[in-house]
Amino acid sequence: MEANVRKMTALYMFVSGIAILLMMVLGLLMLLAQGKMIPLGQDTFYEMMTAHGTFMVGAAAFAASAVMWYFLRQYVRLSFPIFVTHFVLFLTGAVMTAISIFVFRFAGAWTFLYPLPAMSAGMWGKTGASLYLIGMLLIGVSFLLLYLDTSRAIIREYGSLGHGLGWPQILGKVKGYGPPPTVVASTMVSIVNLVSLTVGASVLVMSLINLFQPSIEMDPLLAKNLIYAFGHIFANSVIYMGVIVVYEILPKYTNRPWKSYKIFLIAWNMSTLFTIIVYPHHLLMDFVMPKWMLIIGQVFSYLNGLPVLVVTAFGALMIVYRSGIEWDMASSFIFLSMFGWVAGVIPAIADATIVINHVMHNTKWVPGHFHMYMGVGAVSMLFGFMYYFIRGNERKIGYADMVSFWVYTVFFLSLCGTFLLSGKVSAPRRWAVHFPEWVPYDRMGAVFAVVIIAAVTVFLYRFFVSVIIVQAKQNIEVGPRA
Amino acid sequence: MYQQAAWVISVVFILFVIFVFLYVVAHSGQRAEYEPIQKKGYRIRNVWFLVVIAAMGLATFYTLRDLPFERPAHAADPTVVQVEARQFGFVLSRNEFRVGEPIAFQVTSVDVNHGVGIYDENMELLAQTQAMPKYTNTMYYTFEKPGTYQVLCLEYCGIGHHVMTATITVVPSQEGEGK
Repeated sequence: MEANVRKMTALYMFVSGIAILLMMVLGLLMLLAQGKMIPLGQDTFYEMMTAHGTFMVGAAAFAASAVMWYFLRQYVRLSFPIFVTHFVLFLTGAVMTAISIFVFRFAGAWTFLYPLPAMSAGMWGKTGASLYLIGMLLIGVSFLLLYLDTSRAIIREYGSLGHGLGWPQILGKVKGYGPPPTVVASTMVSIVNLVSLTVGASVLVMSLINLFQPSIEMDPLLAKNLIYAFGHIFANSVIYMGVIVVYEILPKYTNRPWKSYKIFLIAWNMSTLFTIIVYPHHLLMDFVMPKWMLIIGQVFSYLNGLPVLVVTAFGALMIVYRSGIEWDMASSFIFLSMFGWVAGVIPAIADATIVINHVMHNTKWVPGHFHMYMGVGAVSMLFGFMYYFIRGNERKIGYADMVSFWVYTVFFLSLCGTFLLSGKVSAPRRWAVHFPEWVPYDRMGAVFAVVIIAAVTVFLYRFFVSVIIVQAKQNIEVGPRA
Repeated sequence: MYQQAAWVISVVFILFVIFVFLYVVAHSGQRAEYEPIQKKGYRIRNVWFLVVIAAMGLATFYTLRDLPFERPAHAADPTVVQVEARQFGFVLSRNEFRVGEPIAFQVTSVDVNHGVGIYDENMELLAQTQAMPKYTNTMYYTFEKPGTYQVLCLEYCGIGHHVMTATITVVPSQEGEGK
């Protein structure tokens, strides 16, 4: 069984890694097109943009869910058949969405803002739109199954999801530490994603109905709320799943404990609540929204920064400080990921400020901050896990990997810098053709992207080769090593 | 101004975070007892928490006093302009204004979601709102300089998203002088 778990986890990571690499290539092509360095038709650009947004978040979430599953099973009894079903359903949905984009030319962006799927101005037809929406629905169902199983297992072991979040310890009914950090994080992710996926499924189904029966309409503002509630929560959950690898690995590398003390539990409860309710910061320029929702969109977005700024990142710094930690690829990526998370918070908080959002919403400032959060933060957690996973093969990991790590770090930060600079000079996001004022930033970004892709190729090559070697030797260890 | 503020704050903070993380890496090699580190760390964290809360409180207090969807005091009787967005263009009921003339842009869409962003001659974004079917967003704006301004679509709306532009002309408040 243990061998199957490792095989399946490796498969998850490999598929996600390849998808992330391919989406990076699409990102590079889009930058080259915006920088007028290659001719790319506007229709092709918007198809690539749709694929990039959908599969980057999808693949990162897919890999992060495997990381969560891999570690959570140490504490609760999870269903392996559900883990496999999640894999199969996700891939089926992903193939459908890929066909909708690259064969049937659907280019409604990952946001599929109602009623755009049904009103393409001749760019795509009903087949493309319905394949995309059904594909997304299948992907959503695959995740829903997984989170239902994690919720079931946590409730069975700890009594309730509230117990999983450490409510008895917070309320003082039980003394001592709460459940292990991995369980707390998994409970939070299960709760927020059960909400997000249900909301996402609702709006996907309503969009499908409207597609085939246009007389059945939806309120566009309601649809927008549902889409951003789903998208915001789901995309954010990637880093909350990924941080589990930080909780699991850093204590082992530093030989110091990371316990669920009261402040830690309060922080995770805050994150649970705020992650669900801060999504109105995506609708700050929809002035017809109730004023109180726009204001909480700002205020709660600020507060949502507290758990990571004050608790999680601080905990990571403290556990590493004077610890005698061994710096290898896994621990380096894990530490980098915490930096990426924190660094990405500030431009995000700036953008959630209504007066700033008024002149920066839907500019390239937005991809600037979430690429930092996702690329340097969440994806580094995944690479960290991959290197941890192949640790039996240290002699193969060497100079090329460490150089690639630093290259990835420096150039990814630089890429984010070009996005933020583009936002500062008001370049809109999601424009296939850029005005001359914005082109220099695109060209710089394209150069940085080439180098990043080379570094990621090294990471994935190392993972693939190491997994194959270990497999060939049948040298499969039992459980995550302490 | 806000773009500059966001940029400066972000760069300063990110440099600070880089410094802190590098400092910890530089001091990670020699092992020491964890308990004293934790005790000291928690004290630092309490101060850090107060600093962050204070910064957030101040930012909230000052920024919420300038909400773009509220009608400014000087715009009691604004010029009302209907803006209708459609794939892939804008129809403005009027596109010539005077410097200092308060304007209420009433923005809607006849098909999908669009965005209405007003850019000055330096291509700096001055104001924006969303254009939604079945809803009207009112955006207040008063031009401070004469010139030719552009309206760009700021919400992805399909294959012609990037060609969706319009022009606004602003003339001096009195012939021959700017404000």
